[in-house]
Amino acid sequence: MKSPLRPPLTAGPPGRRRTALLGVGVLLLTGCQVANSGSSAAGADTVRIALPEEPPTLEPCDASLTATGRVTRSNITEPLTERNPGTGELEPKLATEWTQLDATTWHFTLREGVDFHDGTPFTAEAAAFSIDRTVNSDIDCNVAGYVFGDPVGATVVDDTTVEVTTEEEDPILPLRLSFVEIVPTSTDSTRKVREPIGTGPYRIDKWNQGINLRLARNEEYWGEAPAYAAALYSWRAEGSIRAAMVSSGEADIAVGLAPADGAGEFAVEFPNNETSYLRIDATQPPLDDIRVRQAINYAIDKEGLIASVFAGLGQPAAQLVPEGVTGHNPDIPAWPYDPERARELVDEARADGVPVDRTITIIGRNGIYPKAAETVEVAQNGLLEAGLSVEIQMLDVNAWMEYLLRPFPADIGPTLLQAQHGNQAGDAAFTMDQIYGSEGAQSSYGTPALDELIHRAELSSDAERETTFAEALAHQNDEVVRDAVLAHMTGIIALSPEVRYTPDAATNDEMRLAEMRPANGS
Amino acid sequence: MLIFLRHRVISSALPLLFVILGVFFLARLTGDPANLYLPLSATPEMREAFSEQHGFNDPLLVQFGDYLAQLVQLDFGESLRTAQPAAEAVLRAFPATLQLAGFTMLFAIIGAVVVGSLAAYRPNSPMDRIASFLSATAASIPDFWFAIMGVLIFAVHLEWLPTSGTVGAGVWVLPIATLLIRPFGVLTQVVRGAMVSALSAPYIKVARSKGASEQRVIFKHALRNAGAPALTVAGDLTVGLINGAVVVETIFGWPGIGKLMIDSILQRDFAVLQAAVLITALTIFALNILIDICYALLDARVRQGELA
Repeated sequence: MKSPLRPPLTAGPPGRRRTALLGVGVLLLTGCQVANSGSSAAGADTVRIALPEEPPTLEPCDASLTATGRVTRSNITEPLTERNPGTGELEPKLATEWTQLDATTWHFTLREGVDFHDGTPFTAEAAAFSIDRTVNSDIDCNVAGYVFGDPVGATVVDDTTVEVTTEEEDPILPLRLSFVEIVPTSTDSTRKVREPIGTGPYRIDKWNQGINLRLARNEEYWGEAPAYAAALYSWRAEGSIRAAMVSSGEADIAVGLAPADGAGEFAVEFPNNETSYLRIDATQPPLDDIRVRQAINYAIDKEGLIASVFAGLGQPAAQLVPEGVTGHNPDIPAWPYDPERARELVDEARADGVPVDRTITIIGRNGIYPKAAETVEVAQNGLLEAGLSVEIQMLDVNAWMEYLLRPFPADIGPTLLQAQHGNQAGDAAFTMDQIYGSEGAQSSYGTPALDELIHRAELSSDAERETTFAEALAHQNDEVVRDAVLAHMTGIIALSPEVRYTPDAATNDEMRLAEMRPANGS
Repeated sequence: MLIFLRHRVISSALPLLFVILGVFFLARLTGDPANLYLPLSATPEMREAFSEQHGFNDPLLVQFGDYLAQLVQLDFGESLRTAQPAAEAVLRAFPATLQLAGFTMLFAIIGAVVVGSLAAYRPNSPMDRIASFLSATAASIPDFWFAIMGVLIFAVHLEWLPTSGTVGAGVWVLPIATLLIRPFGVLTQVVRGAMVSALSAPYIKVARSKGASEQRVIFKHALRNAGAPALTVAGDLTVGLINGAVVVETIFGWPGIGKLMIDSILQRDFAVLQAAVLITALTIFALNILIDICYALLDARVRQGELA
């Protein structure tokens, strides 16, 4: 590409200085481009989406990372099964049906007549290869550990059947497989790829790194053809700019907005499946006394927090698992705001020699959700009024992760960790073990009784699964009190009146382009 | 001149070495990037393998030695985030920032020379007071506020300009205007001050007595002498622009080096951060030498002073 800084060649000798100035003028007037920028021409048949960040990669096995997943999942690549975010039902995608042969063996019947973007047919071999690459390989896929704990066996039975085996009984294996995006066997299995080939309704057209990413409709798609011929993603870190892009007609959809970003009449709110909470490190005095943990729950004014800090968006939460997720317990009440009771509990603990004056640190994370710093200030204020000694430390993501994940830093004293959890998969199994289990990757405290309940729930299915997880959540709330759950959060997108799209609980993690259509179209 | 240059190169090389050292060791004090790049429930074995693969298990001095050995071969390492060569990311981002800084300084200098000279021509006149007030205000407006206000007024309400982006002529206006405002304010004050003293110097009286036009007196005789201090300040401001384009690049989605640096700090993408800082430092280093040469060309005393 010709450098825009170079002055244009002109006939005649107008003088070097004048040529340079003329060059600058011409550049600015004729529409020069930023170095290396690509064309972003977008017609009416292109839906334009403003994201908070550029996807670091479109690697399908990292599709559980939000930035990657919302571009890749169900747009470029597809899984065998897919959970309907509205009904919670597991639906067929590249597999048309599945059956459990015995406790650890499943057969998946595959859809016929499906081709990858490169023209190669989707086969049982590709399905088995994708499962193996995602779950068992050494490429550190993001679903490993989070979705799958143990290796999974995947073998070809015939052209349209793949057999999947697990080490232990796993009643929700088909749900877990909704996290495995299917790629052709030509995909590198020794390292991650940046631009995958899939079977989805869109294929990657052009990725101008740092500038934008364009997907084009896959004209050979096996399913219903999506309305838009192309999708153009661009990214702006600043929420108010993303909102302004929709207001000014430069984008059709802007995601990840805060109430203060000013999306105005274009704002569309939706329950985003995230729950905010403070994790209490119950191994450290004074937090090792359950009365202090109960006091913390009574001391935080959730209604006030939502009304004032979250601009009225969100619902006071009673448990980490929101409604619609298997295992949610509708009978757990949210802790009421009762500063009087909180003070009494702290005083009782003090009278018994619990060191309630020891300073507790709230470890916050900048930008974990809008007004994250203000949220911990509200919590701090409540706890101070309850008679506890509290200070705040705000960290960036990486520093905060040191506190989120095992092994935790030593000698840090009693802490409350600001956190947020979203259960994308719709089953409490994806919450309980890692967050409440004694050995969970994100767990600072657990009890053998709770572990036992979680384990029992994980091995059960159907109604029994529902009730056992619900029982585990109630037990946590009554007997363990390992956290102070704050709110089920609300997401905001800005949506142009030109586009029809209804965000749902899955929108944060996957934005299905096929669900978007022009407002004036059919 | 060559001796002067050699002297400047040698005296600037030491700070450059400190930059390389500082970025390398400070970055590694900020925590293990495995947290960001491995699944939340990664096993200790996975973490160990990750650290081993990227050499984070070696003692820091060994890591630094390896880094220097790579640098000698112009190998800047690989991005943890994108698994692409770090130098590629930096070289992609750098021209965008240079363009932005270059145009901004060009307009700042032209504006400051015109306004500063006019204000200095009649000190304490209404024109001078207005210019001083405006330049002082401009020098103190926060970039962030100005950028957001610009977007709200010119993109959302008036719909004259795009909010952000990289394609088309309009996308340059708001980022340049945002970046321009401070250097313009500072430079105008400097030019005014230098011109006030230059215009009262004896040689100006001589020039006038010889019948030179006022235009020639101001822009030829006085400005030449006022140019040297303004040039030094302009040089510093350009260096500041390259370093400080972060806000503008983040807001307007400008794919430049400032945004790349912030992203690589937040992502603990050590190789990209090191490459970005090193290449920026080299550019600033070259820019400083260029400013010194211009300064020396404008003012012979500097050359002689350096040689003495």
